[in-house]
Amino acid sequence: MDPFNVITLAIFLPFIFAGLIPAAEKILKHYVGWLAAAVALASFLLIATVLPHVIHDGPISGAVPWLPSVGLDFGLYIDGLGILIAFLASGIGVIIMSYSNGYMSHKEDLPRYYMWLLLFMGSMVGMVFSANTILLFIFWELTSVTSYMLIGYWRDKPESIYGATKSLIVTAAGGLVMLAGFLFLHSITGTFDIPTILQNEALIQTVKDHDLFLITLVLIFIGAAAKSAQGPFYIWLPNAMEAPTPVSAFLHSATMVKAGIYLVGRMHPIFSGTDAWLILVAGTGMITMVMAGFMAFRQTDIKGILAYSTISQLAYIITMYGYTTYQHPGIGVAAATFHIVNHGTFKACLFLVAGIIAHEAATRDIRKMGGLWREMPITFIIAVIGALSMAGIPPLNGFLSKEMFYESSVEMGAALGSPYTILIPVIAIMGGVFTFAYSIKLISGIFLGKRPKDGLPKHIHDPCATMLVPAAFLAFLVVLFGVVPSIPVHNIVEPTASGILLEPVHLHVKLWHGVTTPLIMTIVTFILGILVYSKYDALAAWQDRFNARHPRISVNYHYDAAVDNAKTWGHKISSVTQPGTIKTYINAVLILIVVLVCIPVILLGANIIPQTLNFDIAPYEALLMLLMVVAGIAIVALPGYLPAIIALSALGYMVGLLFIYLKAPDLALTQVLVETLSTIIFFLAIAKIPQKFKEKIPTTTLVRDVIISVAIASTVFIMLINATQGIVSPFESLSHYFIENSLTLAGGHNIVNVIIVDFRGYDTLGEISVLCLAALGVYNLIHSRSEEK
Amino acid sequence: MTTLITKTITKICVPLVILFSISLLLAGHNNPGGGFIGGVMFASIIGLLYVVFGLDNIKEFFNPDWAKWFAFGLLLSCITAFGALFVGHNFFRSAVEFVHLPFIGEIELVSAGLFDVGVYFVVIGSLLYIFKNVGDDK
Repeated sequence: MDPFNVITLAIFLPFIFAGLIPAAEKILKHYVGWLAAAVALASFLLIATVLPHVIHDGPISGAVPWLPSVGLDFGLYIDGLGILIAFLASGIGVIIMSYSNGYMSHKEDLPRYYMWLLLFMGSMVGMVFSANTILLFIFWELTSVTSYMLIGYWRDKPESIYGATKSLIVTAAGGLVMLAGFLFLHSITGTFDIPTILQNEALIQTVKDHDLFLITLVLIFIGAAAKSAQGPFYIWLPNAMEAPTPVSAFLHSATMVKAGIYLVGRMHPIFSGTDAWLILVAGTGMITMVMAGFMAFRQTDIKGILAYSTISQLAYIITMYGYTTYQHPGIGVAAATFHIVNHGTFKACLFLVAGIIAHEAATRDIRKMGGLWREMPITFIIAVIGALSMAGIPPLNGFLSKEMFYESSVEMGAALGSPYTILIPVIAIMGGVFTFAYSIKLISGIFLGKRPKDGLPKHIHDPCATMLVPAAFLAFLVVLFGVVPSIPVHNIVEPTASGILLEPVHLHVKLWHGVTTPLIMTIVTFILGILVYSKYDALAAWQDRFNARHPRISVNYHYDAAVDNAKTWGHKISSVTQPGTIKTYINAVLILIVVLVCIPVILLGANIIPQTLNFDIAPYEALLMLLMVVAGIAIVALPGYLPAIIALSALGYMVGLLFIYLKAPDLALTQVLVETLSTIIFFLAIAKIPQKFKEKIPTTTLVRDVIISVAIASTVFIMLINATQGIVSPFESLSHYFIENSLTLAGGHNIVNVIIVDFRGYDTLGEISVLCLAALGVYNLIHSRSEEK
Repeated sequence: MTTLITKTITKICVPLVILFSISLLLAGHNNPGGGFIGGVMFASIIGLLYVVFGLDNIKEFFNPDWAKWFAFGLLLSCITAFGALFVGHNFFRSAVEFVHLPFIGEIELVSAGLFDVGVYFVVIGSLLYIFKNVGDDK
């Protein structure tokens, strides 16, 4: 099959099955998770079949026309980078969805859970293969929305709702900023299509020399940073840990947070090689790496440690992408790519272990645990493999990419010259030290040492195979990729790196290089790491003192303040504009009509009272009009609702009668019928309220109302009297068109009806939709009120 | 309002007015009438029925879910509107066909008429839905 069709199928398969999940759950009951896992597996295999084509023939493009009028296609660009992230999304998706079968209780709302998981997976795969920025943006925001639904999966927990809202605000707002960046990019290059830019070196050079280069880069990078929780945007990720643990493992460590990394990789050829790129990307990365590493070390919640560690590990990758300005780009990008794979495996593995522990021990607080290795030996082994890989201990895969990270940092520092020769490797080591320290803390806190007496339930044991096997499989991959690095390197890292760098990349990764600078740095890291770990109490006390002294330094403080302010102001504004009394709304509408009619009349300079008035009125018409005036006065003068309504409907019927005199049978019929119905509805309504006008209306209100009614009456008068004079000069009458064409185009003699159902059918469709909504609105008004009682 | 006279007159009127409303609907394309007027007429006679005999009494033997009526009407209108897209025309393009039937003579089939039927059902459904809910409210 054509690779384009294969990938299209891989994208839409999860979407289709997400729709079928609720129906499937009726048949499969709680086994529905296995169906979801099978769908993920199918997507994974479909993507895998395309990989050989990409390795041999380079990137593949394809497109189906979508919105040709604005030059947009449903275009796919299939290269190594896309395949790598898609592999993570679908491959880890299989593992997560299998694991969830054990983790999620059968009483939970399983269809909703698997539906959103599949939708997320589909959006993620769609995003990484999108060839144009608009399609990418759509899938990007879809991943934000699905992530929001999954974080808020436990709807009755306020923390879930808070975390979900926070993640949506930060990531979706970042996405919108990114869209602004894409529009800048479009205005520079004139195309939405990413491969068109990538394959045209002159165009890339144009972008780099353009005045808008910096703002475009900053905007797009903000989008990426918000998604990958870098810099000040990290705040959403720790709160997102309120999601079910498999979701955290899937979205918030292995895949969705890699979307920002993906975007940085995708935009790498366009923006890299400039000072702005180095400062922005590598700078943000280095600061985030150290800060998040320290915060991870300070957490006591297992998932909290993992969340901050994810931020820190992603910062490694971002930093390495940023390095490319002043060095031969091969090593940094390749190391970053390799680290994406490694981090995906060991972090997902650790999250699954965290899920197992939370599931068995009913808590995630590390202070309540200890000595669990006796009860959970298999989980212990898996966790040790994951954590040691994260700490960068050989022969696990984390060691390899950590070495490459140090190597590229040293090269980078050397390329920049003093004082960066020392500074950059030192920052890199600081990141590594914290990573080592919190990895050790994770293992020793949970599995080693002594346990407080009343911390945990009595019977703790290894979980069922459904939960153990996926975690064990990931641990196996961690070891495999560490011992035989050529498997991931040749199959996926090299194609990905060449997808980012747009040139063939060959990489030789070995466990043992001999004694090199990176190896010495690794050893230094281990020693310092143990030192930092042993000084935990002193560090913690220092940080607590610091935080107490500077409460405003926290980004969360500013986020909460901003959200609170938005709520307060929103409430203030809406309490002014939406007071809830119908009278206010009607007044606003009427005044608007007066303004809208008077302004054109004055601007057009039309005579407000035309010179030639036709007073040729038949006696019976005059009599009818006199009666109408009497009825009108009666409406306001009569003392109760009932007589007033009768007077109102009498007025309405007389208008209907007038239409008959004026030879407008359609209007007369409609008027009489509508009048009848509205009278009946009025009667029904007033049967429930006091029959007399009891309230005393204040004089000011009375004066205001009289002014408004006189104004609106005069406006309508002016409008009508001008309408009877014919069309004002700059405009032409439309009626000729309808009279001429109603029979030929629509086959009807009744022009009014033809206009309603054919020429203006669109309007009518809108009107009948409004009618339906009004009916539902009335229902809601009545029933919400009766519930309040 | 529940005198014998109104009850008797209402009983006679109901079938006549319903037939009249249908004829208004069908005649609408060439003569005064149409889906909206036909619908309002239908709704007003049922409204009269509710008022004269009392909503609770009527509900015992005649209690349609008016929400289904307007939902159906809206669906029908949308289908006719979008239908043109599926045969390769613009949105809302209407088709006209003159058919010659034995004994009846030439009649005109127009897709806009189907749209009008949708309007008819929406008007009946939503008006009577409001009517019944307001009247039902204790």
